[in-house]
Amino acid sequence: MATVEVTGLQKRYQDFLALDGVSLKAKTGQLISLLGPSGCGKSTTLRCLAGFLEPNGGDILVDGESIVSTPANRRGFGVVFQDYALFPHMTVAENVGYGLRLKRLPKGEIATRVYDVMKLVRLDGLDRRLPKEISGGQQQRVALARALVLQPRLLLLDEPLANLDARLRDEVRWLIRDVQQQSGITAFYVTHDQSEAMAMSDMVAVMKAGRVAQFATPREIYQKPTERYVADFTGEANFLPVSQVTGTGEGSYRIVVAGTDLEVTGVPDIPIGWDAELLLRPESLSLVAPDAGTFRGRVTKSAFLGAALHCEITLDDGDVLRLAADPNEQVSAEGKVGVAIDRSHAWLMPKVAP
Amino acid sequence: MTRLSRFRILLALPAVGLIFVFMILPITNMVDMSFRTTGTTGPFGDAYTLGHYNRILGDGYYWGVLLRSLVTAAMVTLLCLIVSYPIAWHLSKARGTKAVVLYACIASPLMTGVLVRNFGWMIIVALNGPLNEVLLAFGIIERPLRLLFTQGLVILALVHVFIPFMVLPINNALRNISPTLTEAAASMGATRLDILRDVILPLSFPGIYPGVILVYVLAVAAYVTPALLGGQMVSYMPTLIISELTGTFQWPLGSAMAIVLSLSSLGVVILFTAMTWKMMERSRA
Ligand SMILES: Nc1ncnc2c1ncn2[C@@H]1O[C@H](COP(=O)(O)OP(=O)(O)O)[C@@H](O)[C@H]1O
Ligand SMILES: [Mg+2]
Repeated sequence: MATVEVTGLQKRYQDFLALDGVSLKAKTGQLISLLGPSGCGKSTTLRCLAGFLEPNGGDILVDGESIVSTPANRRGFGVVFQDYALFPHMTVAENVGYGLRLKRLPKGEIATRVYDVMKLVRLDGLDRRLPKEISGGQQQRVALARALVLQPRLLLLDEPLANLDARLRDEVRWLIRDVQQQSGITAFYVTHDQSEAMAMSDMVAVMKAGRVAQFATPREIYQKPTERYVADFTGEANFLPVSQVTGTGEGSYRIVVAGTDLEVTGVPDIPIGWDAELLLRPESLSLVAPDAGTFRGRVTKSAFLGAALHCEITLDDGDVLRLAADPNEQVSAEGKVGVAIDRSHAWLMPKVAP
Repeated sequence: MTRLSRFRILLALPAVGLIFVFMILPITNMVDMSFRTTGTTGPFGDAYTLGHYNRILGDGYYWGVLLRSLVTAAMVTLLCLIVSYPIAWHLSKARGTKAVVLYACIASPLMTGVLVRNFGWMIIVALNGPLNEVLLAFGIIERPLRLLFTQGLVILALVHVFIPFMVLPINNALRNISPTLTEAAASMGATRLDILRDVILPLSFPGIYPGVILVYVLAVAAYVTPALLGGQMVSYMPTLIISELTGTFQWPLGSAMAIVLSLSSLGVVILFTAMTWKMMERSRA
């Protein structure tokens, strides 16, 4: 129930600049994912939001007001940690009710609110257990309940699913998203799992070495990445080198790729002469007759995976494309094929953002 | 029996042997002696008697000394805990060279022999010693303070020497508390005081408990410090026992007093354990 605006956030550890101008924006009720490889500054960003770290520069506005000088215990944000951080000496109910107890609410009200939120995250009946007496998935939900029970303005989650096995991860992921949407809490969600980020978020911030490489919707991040780093991190991708790039309007270009002239869309305003590549996601490619399609080549590898036939095609000029073909396609090794591209899904982008 | 478990028993043998020869046997001997009549030719007579226990438990004087020993030890333990906790906190936050230096400082009371240390105290607090001279020079006092041979000085000296026994286990327990717990509590609105009371203190109890037990037991049994710094006016059980053993050669009576003292301090330890059982169960990770 809050808007958040992070501008030019900087954080220095000794002489290492962990955050180098991070800017983000969240509308009320949105879930924003911070996605990126380990060490790129996701947790640091989240900990600045939570108030556990003091940024060296930049500002954080919540509902238009700067909170950087507000201590963590007065921010009223819910935080869920990767290691859950449950109080080992308190029962599940005491853990969940701790924040309410600090507010000196009447015992009866604490009990009802704890009961309600435990039911919401499907923990009913476990209130008397100690954290060590429940499973990892249940601990994770206690951590979530403990953050939610205070009806925080902002929910901050740092890789909350990283310690769960695959099946539980799926279950808890949807629980988090459901609860977050029902209660309309604005949330920041740190993860290094691209499918998690894509599936859950309203907006994704792909982070790269202390900066935000791209901040956009999951669809845009996937289909219209601003540079190779983003495309690589968000799914399977083919990159073809291009030459003779000429702009033909806002975000549209004429290029030569693998010896073929093409009209494609791409990142607007790529500087002339900048190193650019054509992004082709495997699902935008299909196998056609050897003399049809945009590109010509031969099948150098193929693997039957049930739902799809994964093929590696070496084009005549030596470039390699990976694609997922119809599983019933008959391909012979070294057989000549044509590759058709869905041009609406071809995307020209700089190798590295200017 | 598997080879492994035979090996384990073998490993335990030296320790068991030591304990048997130097603890079980002497204690058995002492218990036996405490029920013997006073000897005329040897350390004790041949006949058995309850007389020594009757004498100790029937005499208000002994009760008073016993009580003073137990209460003084309790005060030493409490003060030691209060002084040691912040030290342990700092130690638990220290890393690298700073930690090594701190460890050395904390262990320093144990690096001097017990006699040297106590004579040191005697010199420092003497009527014309450095402490009084400094206080006089700054005009804080008008006449020199008579600190030597007071109960306060005994307590102070014991607290000083027992600090390492309290600091080290608490430091250990504090290091085991995950820093994210503090952050989690803060995010729920806890002030630093709330965090100390609700998270840090209870979770450091697995360190407080052994510290308290160690210091209490050591303080009850302390002999040299009370004897040297407490003077003749205030008696503690250990001083009394030693004087029975070496002064009047009443070994059976001395043994009985030693056993009464041991059982009493064991009783206090059991009481403390029982009172804190629930807390301990919960805070054990
Ligand atoms: N307390 C710290 N002291 C020094 N460097 C740190 C500290 N915490 C994090 N870093 C460094 O800052 C960078 C970003 O860390 P972090 O935000 O935890 O990354 P992420 O959560 O994306 O994996 C990393 O290179 C990490 O080594
Ligand atoms: Mg992290």
